[in-house]
Amino acid sequence: MPSNPLGKIALRLGMAAVAALLTGCATPPPDDDPEAKAEFEQINDPLEPANRAIFSANQEVDTYLLRPLALGYRYVVPSFGRDRISDFLDNLKSPIYLANDLLQANFTLAGTTVGRFALNSSFGVFGLMDVAEPMGLPSHQSDFGQTMGVWGIGEGPYIVLPLFGPSNPRDTVGMLAESQADPLDYYLQTGGRHWMYWTRMGLGAVSTREAYLDVLDDMQRTSLDYYSAMRSLYRQRRAAQINGAKDPDKYTPPPAGMSSVPANK
Amino acid sequence: MMFRRTFLKTVLVLALAVGAFPGLGHAQTGDAAQKFITSLAQKAITTVADRQLSQSDRDDRFRKLFVSAFDIPEIGRFVLSRSWRTATPEQQQEFLGLFEEITVLTWSKRFQDYNGESLETVSATKDGDRNWFVDSHILRAQGTQIPVQWRLKEADDGSFHVIDIVVEGVSMAITHRSDYAAALQANGGRVDGLLTIMRTKLDQLKAAG
Repeated sequence: MPSNPLGKIALRLGMAAVAALLTGCATPPPDDDPEAKAEFEQINDPLEPANRAIFSANQEVDTYLLRPLALGYRYVVPSFGRDRISDFLDNLKSPIYLANDLLQANFTLAGTTVGRFALNSSFGVFGLMDVAEPMGLPSHQSDFGQTMGVWGIGEGPYIVLPLFGPSNPRDTVGMLAESQADPLDYYLQTGGRHWMYWTRMGLGAVSTREAYLDVLDDMQRTSLDYYSAMRSLYRQRRAAQINGAKDPDKYTPPPAGMSSVPANK
Repeated sequence: MMFRRTFLKTVLVLALAVGAFPGLGHAQTGDAAQKFITSLAQKAITTVADRQLSQSDRDDRFRKLFVSAFDIPEIGRFVLSRSWRTATPEQQQEFLGLFEEITVLTWSKRFQDYNGESLETVSATKDGDRNWFVDSHILRAQGTQIPVQWRLKEADDGSFHVIDIVVEGVSMAITHRSDYAAALQANGGRVDGLLTIMRTKLDQLKAAG
């Protein structure tokens, strides 16, 4: 039995993965209930029992490690400092954003990314200040999962990854591809610079978690079933990001399904 | 003769107004839809920011404003989805009551964290006969704007009610529906089981203040 906290977490995740394999798949509803069947397909979570096991293990990591770190970070570092750190980390991702803007054939956004990187890296002091935003070059993020979505590749079934959380096969492939393709990551993993690689990753995780503190606390407090609320949130958000990339002039897309309000009152 | 001609004209005008364009008398404009949202946001901010009022007065006013501006029965029916039809009228009534309480508490808590943000409407688009989308964004002192889309339903008398809020592409109504469907499923699809969970949730929210 490992005694250090990280060992315990690793053990919990391992147990969750085993439990996930043992529990298997959700049972689809019978054919004679078309409405239940439509709902099952719409939820798109055939691996739900396995996903729930991993989700609850992730929740433990979050409750005992990531969320306390994020709270500590918010407490210790003032908002100005946190903004500088998140601006700096965002600027470092510019090569990835640019590659995806280009792969999405979104040349206006690609231009914005180049302009932002040039301005923020110089006048913004190594990306610490986002000086480009007030100059009319607002920030945006693009990733390879989104790019594949723009290309018309479907999301596939919903999956919850250990540590990384909500995802799907398309976005998982995107995430793995990006971790291989990031030129900065490549540079940081060579020549004794590993500590910088891990610092960037850890700081990124804490900074992102801090940004989501209020939203996720609110969600957990108000939802009846946090797992399902998160699943819905993730899938809608990704769909909106992909639709937004396909048609940047359009605002948030109208949500589907409002018309299915039962007619009888 | 003169009278008859005028009379005919009047009839013709009335026929055109009423017969040929039914509902024209009450049809609303995009401007009105945007104004509705602007004024709703303004009223909500004035209510929560009014330090002259006691907390319970603020809560009361917020509740009144919320219940009058949102079509909670419509949202509730959407959230309960197909189980709405299998529920008894008593269950439907209790569901809507609990849903209203939970929604109002959720939003009044969100507004307690109000920190000088303002809302700016961008455009209004008509969707079908009675529905409108109003696009807006929330402006913060720092950080980027948050896009918020409001979905409105126009009543017979031309008044608007909010039926959904879509923040950065995430619809509150759809998220609620997923959430409530899962709670229902965990109880074998029984509405009574869902109502029990909702009562517990409401108590938790009240206890948390």
